[in-house]
Amino acid sequence: MDINTKKIKKNAYRVTKVRGKTALRIRVPGGHLEVKYFDIIKEIAEKYGDGSVHITIRQGFEVPGIDFDKIPEINRMIAPILQGLELDYGVSIGDIEGGYPAAGTRNVSACIGNKVCPFANYNTTDLAIKIEKAIFPNDRHVKIACTGCPNDCIKAHMQDFGIIGQVEPIYDASRCVGCEACVKNCKKRVTGALRMENYKVKRDEDRCIGCGECILKCPTGAWSRNPEKFYRMVIMGRTGKKNPRLAQTFLEWVDEETIIQVIVNTYAFIEDYIDKEAPLGKEHVGYIVDRAGYHIFKAYAFKGVKLGPKAKVANYIDFGGYTYERNIHFDRCNE
Amino acid sequence: MALRLSREAFNHALKDLSKEYKIYAPIRLKEIGRFSETDVVRYGEISMVEEIVTDEKSHFSPKEILFPITQTLFYFTEEEYKEPKEDGKKIIIFLRPCDINGVKRLDQIFLQNGKDKDIYYECLREKVKFFMMECVEGFESCFCVSMDANKTENYAAAIRFGEELLLEVKDDGLMNIFQGLGKETNFTPEFIEENRVKVCLPDVNKITLELFEHEMWKEYSQRCIACGRCNFVCSTCSCWTMQDIFYDENKNNGERRRVWAGCHVDGFTDMAGGHGFRKNYGDRMRFKTMHKINDFKKRNGYHMCVGCGRCDDICPEYISFSNCINKVTKIVGEERKS
Amino acid sequence: MKNPYMPKKYTIIDIQHQTDIDYTFRVACDIKPKNGQFVEVSIPKIGEAPISISDFGDGYIDMTIRRVGKVTNYLHGLKPGDAMYLRGPYGNGFSLEQYKNKHLVIAAGGTGLAPVKSIINYFHRNPEEIQKLDLLIGFKSPKDILFREEIEEWMKNKKFHVTVTVDKGDESWTGNVGLITQFVPKIDIPDEDNLEVIIVGPPLMMKFTGLEFLQRKIKEEQIWVSFERKMSCGIGKCGHCKIDETYVCLEGPVFHYTKAKQLID
Repeated sequence: MDINTKKIKKNAYRVTKVRGKTALRIRVPGGHLEVKYFDIIKEIAEKYGDGSVHITIRQGFEVPGIDFDKIPEINRMIAPILQGLELDYGVSIGDIEGGYPAAGTRNVSACIGNKVCPFANYNTTDLAIKIEKAIFPNDRHVKIACTGCPNDCIKAHMQDFGIIGQVEPIYDASRCVGCEACVKNCKKRVTGALRMENYKVKRDEDRCIGCGECILKCPTGAWSRNPEKFYRMVIMGRTGKKNPRLAQTFLEWVDEETIIQVIVNTYAFIEDYIDKEAPLGKEHVGYIVDRAGYHIFKAYAFKGVKLGPKAKVANYIDFGGYTYERNIHFDRCNE
Repeated sequence: MALRLSREAFNHALKDLSKEYKIYAPIRLKEIGRFSETDVVRYGEISMVEEIVTDEKSHFSPKEILFPITQTLFYFTEEEYKEPKEDGKKIIIFLRPCDINGVKRLDQIFLQNGKDKDIYYECLREKVKFFMMECVEGFESCFCVSMDANKTENYAAAIRFGEELLLEVKDDGLMNIFQGLGKETNFTPEFIEENRVKVCLPDVNKITLELFEHEMWKEYSQRCIACGRCNFVCSTCSCWTMQDIFYDENKNNGERRRVWAGCHVDGFTDMAGGHGFRKNYGDRMRFKTMHKINDFKKRNGYHMCVGCGRCDDICPEYISFSNCINKVTKIVGEERKS
Repeated sequence: MKNPYMPKKYTIIDIQHQTDIDYTFRVACDIKPKNGQFVEVSIPKIGEAPISISDFGDGYIDMTIRRVGKVTNYLHGLKPGDAMYLRGPYGNGFSLEQYKNKHLVIAAGGTGLAPVKSIINYFHRNPEEIQKLDLLIGFKSPKDILFREEIEEWMKNKKFHVTVTVDKGDESWTGNVGLITQFVPKIDIPDEDNLEVIIVGPPLMMKFTGLEFLQRKIKEEQIWVSFERKMSCGIGKCGHCKIDETYVCLEGPVFHYTKAKQLID
């Protein structure tokens, strides 16, 4: 058997522990798809795989147990998926029958978003698709996820870029009856950004994270939404074997264009600062930022970006996380 | 007088009227709603007929025009009580028959309950003319027919919306505004005769203390979250609380206001010193239900609830008031139709 | 148009400290209340509170006010000569005629003594108008006792039988200890049909004291109670005090027991 593993990896297949068998990964940008695609996935799994499919953490499907020589056939079969879930979104796919053109930049995942969830502040799938269109195909290893609110059900904090929906609550004091539902809830479940003064509510803008809970709780519509959409971006979160950590807030109260532009700009930063000696040419962007420095990253990120009047930018980020200095905190029990 | 007139002609009349009147109607406030990308439909001032939302029930009733959510009763300068200046303009409200009947209930409390009239309400109420929006279809949760609140003769003008508008003008003061703006026609508004939701009303003579202690309220103790939305959207809930404040910038000055209160909301019965009643949410549901379909009638001769169904539409816990009424009736027996 | 929410300004002429937290304010005013009525006491920028009139006379009314909230806190900081704003009187009050020439029992718990004090004083001044007056007065502890001097005066009245009790005594207390309910069976009732009973106090005290009297074969028609509820307006508009079809501010605060037992909050 003669397989160019580099090539098949970029084609979204992988080397598995079973010799001769590969697995196909199907992207679902924004984590939402029409069920008609299930038929294709089912057919591949039954005809070429072992009849099973794995749902990946990034909201894709992984079909295991495939013979390497069936790749061209399968690539032709998934053409409608590439058409519907990439090309139709505006993603450039060269040869529609040649399978996925890249796999480095991972599927842009999303929580259920405001299509369904009452907490979500925007359509996460739509934004994920716009981001997919702006950055895919790309071999650079970048993980992105969109979540509707700070509950962060998609775990945006575990991504290189996590986009969290924000809403600016607008207060109409004349509609407020002073029931304190918002104040009590904000104190209990959020950051305590609200307080009562003279029977009306005062909002501490610095404490407010734009979750929209006050709007949800208000029984009279005294709190309403600014229809303009805002986003918080957390960056450089990761798991892994070196230094796992939660992503930290980079931007607050920015618009969609800014979010997309910053992500696109990051690829230029990666090209310039990636470790040229990195094994397989693969280095996670977070480690590049660690080495190059936050301010260099920031300079790249803001190229051509015009921040809105409400935007806030971190002037310093302490990324924290932990390292595996295992013997400091562990004892052998039988010593 | 009845007219068939174009929207342009009607807008022309609205422009004329706006010199003398503030004109309120249900309007759409885009994407400011509770959930992301949802609209709010509630009362606001309009200048054109196109602004009026005719295909959806307003989330809040028009009561907020007559009984503002926050209303200043006195301004205090040092120790002096000063009443707020009156806004000279008269008021036109576009509203459905159920809401006109809702205003009748507000009148009952603010103008007839006890020997004193509430002058703040009276002052606004005297300025109001109703433009009744013909309503023959209703909406999913409406049960106005059961509550005998689907019809009214109490309007200055009635309007049927369409490509063209049909208008019946009963108020003499409005005749000259509309005269000549359209073709004279025969039009009297129709009323809805049947809702999808029907309630059977209980015989109030059979409502005894046994019902107050009935099992049925326990379910609501579990389900109700005491948010008060049902009170606030209700076109007939009229409770309020006094609040005194002083201004941040000058503590010698301040004002006395009233704000809406709701019997479902914590603190409604709490007295200074802390003692309160109906801590249990099921008791609050019972208290409200009894007011709407029992004790108001005992006091005033007709039911308070007008069956607009807004409480059903708004409840985040999907508690249906119409269903609650039916449960009560099932327990005590139906009222005899006179 | 007359604004029913507009209070009138009056002057405080005397303040008596009953306990650490109960002060009696005498206000010079032209309000001529019935026994058991209440007024809305108003302080600009602070608020309004319904307060029962504890006594009245020519050109004045008394209010015994416990410090329990914003308005009453403020009131306790006032001095004679300061202004107090009032509107009212509100409520039905007690009808004195109902009790004249009868055997009257008044059971009062804590501040519940205030709304009935003027009745007691009336019969104290006019003993020929009453056959007999039994007073059961209960307080939490000796330091909570209100109207000490007047109670001592009442004790001297030959027509009066005064029982003062506290829930919990202290080292210097030699009087009765126990709830009012314990003393109901001890009242000497020569003729049940000639009796009228007034019970005023906290909700639970009223409930159980009422039951004690029923135990003694007193008819519900002979018992009167006075309610306390949250109120913003005092005139049947704000809805806070409504119980079923009854507005405590309009039809109360004084209720016949037959009615009161039907009032479920």
